[in-house]
Amino acid sequence: MNTQHQNDDSIRILIADDDEHILDCYREAFGEADATDHMKALDALEAELFNPSTDIEDTPKFEVVSCKQGDDAISLAKEAANDGHPFDVVILDVRMPPGIDGVEAGSQIRDLDPDVEIVFVTGYSDVPREELERRVPPPMRLHYFNKPISFMKLAEDVASIVKAQ
Amino acid sequence: MSNGVTKRSLQEKVSITLLAVMGALSVLSFIVLKEVVAPAFDELELVQAQSNLNRAEKAIANDLENLVAIAGDWAVWDDAYDYATGEYPAFEASNLDRPTLTNLDLALLAYYDTAGDLIWGQASNGDSLVALAELGILEPGTETAALLITHAELEARENGLLDTDIGPMLISSWPVQRSDSTGPIAGTMIMGQLLDGTRLARLRERTEVMLDWRAIDHDADVPAALQTPLNGSSAGSMLHESAEDEIVSSGVLVDLFSAPIILLDARTPRQISALGQSTVNGALLFLSLAALIVAVVAWLLLRSVIVLPLEGLAKHITGIRKSGDLSQRLNDTRADEIGSLAGEFDKLTDELQEARKLLLDQSFKAGKADNAAEVLHNIRNAMTPLINSIDRLAKDLGVTDGLKVRQAVEELTSDECPAERAGKLLQYIESAFSHIEGTNRHASENLGVASKQARQVEAILVDQEKHAKVSPVMENLPLHEVLDEAVLVIPKTADPEIKLELVNGVSQCSVRAHRVGLLQVLGNLILNAYESIQRGQSHVGRIELSAVTESVEDKPMVRLIVRDSGCGFDDDFKQKIFQRGYSSKQGNLSGLGLHWCANALAGMGGRIQAESRGPGQGAEFHVLLPVAQGG
Repeated sequence: MNTQHQNDDSIRILIADDDEHILDCYREAFGEADATDHMKALDALEAELFNPSTDIEDTPKFEVVSCKQGDDAISLAKEAANDGHPFDVVILDVRMPPGIDGVEAGSQIRDLDPDVEIVFVTGYSDVPREELERRVPPPMRLHYFNKPISFMKLAEDVASIVKAQ
Repeated sequence: MSNGVTKRSLQEKVSITLLAVMGALSVLSFIVLKEVVAPAFDELELVQAQSNLNRAEKAIANDLENLVAIAGDWAVWDDAYDYATGEYPAFEASNLDRPTLTNLDLALLAYYDTAGDLIWGQASNGDSLVALAELGILEPGTETAALLITHAELEARENGLLDTDIGPMLISSWPVQRSDSTGPIAGTMIMGQLLDGTRLARLRERTEVMLDWRAIDHDADVPAALQTPLNGSSAGSMLHESAEDEIVSSGVLVDLFSAPIILLDARTPRQISALGQSTVNGALLFLSLAALIVAVVAWLLLRSVIVLPLEGLAKHITGIRKSGDLSQRLNDTRADEIGSLAGEFDKLTDELQEARKLLLDQSFKAGKADNAAEVLHNIRNAMTPLINSIDRLAKDLGVTDGLKVRQAVEELTSDECPAERAGKLLQYIESAFSHIEGTNRHASENLGVASKQARQVEAILVDQEKHAKVSPVMENLPLHEVLDEAVLVIPKTADPEIKLELVNGVSQCSVRAHRVGLLQVLGNLILNAYESIQRGQSHVGRIELSAVTESVEDKPMVRLIVRDSGCGFDDDFKQKIFQRGYSSKQGNLSGLGLHWCANALAGMGGRIQAESRGPGQGAEFHVLLPVAQGG
């Protein structure tokens, strides 16, 4: 389990994937706030010098908690809900051997928190979307991405999903 | 694993059962014959022995009756009457002489007057005359004399046996009376016949009974079993003594005083029991032989009708289980339950073969799908960091590309740039270079990740290539069945002028091959032939499929020939037709690819050859495959 960027204004995200490299990608995509401070200063200076009327876009901040098994994801979601700080988004891999699969984990997390946005990201395409919607309703709070994906694009999409709530 | 129960074949069980039944039948027959039939013969023999004794007794009684009749004639006679009263003395000279006794077979003839005095009497022991006194029964004052010599009434008679001093004798004593049976009584007439050897011989001859008798001493104890005399009751008692070869039946005859006088023995040869024993032995032998014949016939019948067909069925099932060849059929046409069972098993095999075919297809497809999904999953996982590295690289480079460093430098070098702005421009340039340095560093890192992930993808593909070399499942396949399915590749809307025909040998040949692979190869060849004809000028053609079995390099192989009347090809094309990546468009061929077909057939232990007499003259593709195992 790994936690970063604890901030009250940030988007709280729980990520479960059995591949450590993928988790690194997630962390990097959702944890660039610090790295972008320098960029934001550069952008602000560039706007001041060359285009004074331009507004600086406020980049969303993420608070990421990650784990490698579905059972751990359920425990973390339960713990967060009990602490009064539920996750805004839960991102799950579908297959995470040897534990329960992401669909089962998502189903149990949905039971814990009906409002959480659940995102499935998988390299398999053998779980039809209809099956996911049946087991992890409602469809409006369910999202599905096939690997390979751009995690930076995913981060933008996740930010959009939370913003649209 | 053995569960401790001895397994016996059906044939053994049938044999044991038949032997047991035969043995039980023999034992039962033996018991019935010995305990029921044989005793019945003994009983019959005993009845015969009893009958013999009764015949002997009756013969003696008949002799006595004859004697009584004769005595009646001589006592109830006027001449005798007058002689007894002394009125006819000449009666003695004319009737009472030695020949009279001989002619009448008498041992005693005597006339007494009413006072009991002898008028005339004569006795004979068979050889010579003896005095009446020697008889010992007519001596005055004796009990016998009193009984025999005087009669008080006309109807009085004394008939029976008496023991005399010269032997046992049949006696008849009558009162002498007129011929019309009127009186008064003139005296007594006594007649007697000796039971001597001569009479015994005659009785034996008459009765055909081995008869013997012997006098019994009056004081002798008669066995209890013979207390009732034969001539004293309607059912005289008898005693039967059985020896090995005869039964001696004994009975007692009593005299006029009801005292036992003669022990009568009738010997009956044990012919009936001997016949019975012979019959029983013959019946036992017959039944044993019959049981044996029945058992052998039943065994042969059961063997031919049930055991052998069932063994054939079991052998067939075992053969299928061991070989896994579901193309074998019993084709049993018997019109009985076993024939039905065989037919049902053939149907079951049909269904099993079809199910296995479907399962193999599904497994093949499922295996391919699973494998593809797994490979895709791994590749996607490997590609994700790669894509993200490239994304980050692109983003960083995009930011770098948008920096206004040149514009800032130009402003700085301008004399008109205010000092405050110049300071900020310097700060901007410094920050920009710092960003470019970071971008370079990140680019190097991201390229490193991309390179690493690309190598991972390559490793996945190499690993997949190893799995691609796994041998396919080989099975016995009737060629016509595969071809029936393969021809479905021709579109339903196919030109009706293109004929497809299965000719020589196809229905007789079976091959050992991977079904799905062979299906794809044949489908490819047939489709190629069809399209080759279609591309011809006439749009009329013929695809001919034939097969023969032949020996290739000492191995039995099936040669399947797909002959078409299509475009054909030249020798140059023939040299390249099975090369990898060689397009068939030039030679007017299409489909999965003949290179793949050649590789697939090589994986099944077969090969492919192509022949054509030239462009426009059709083509032949020869597919060589091993003959089905056991076929």
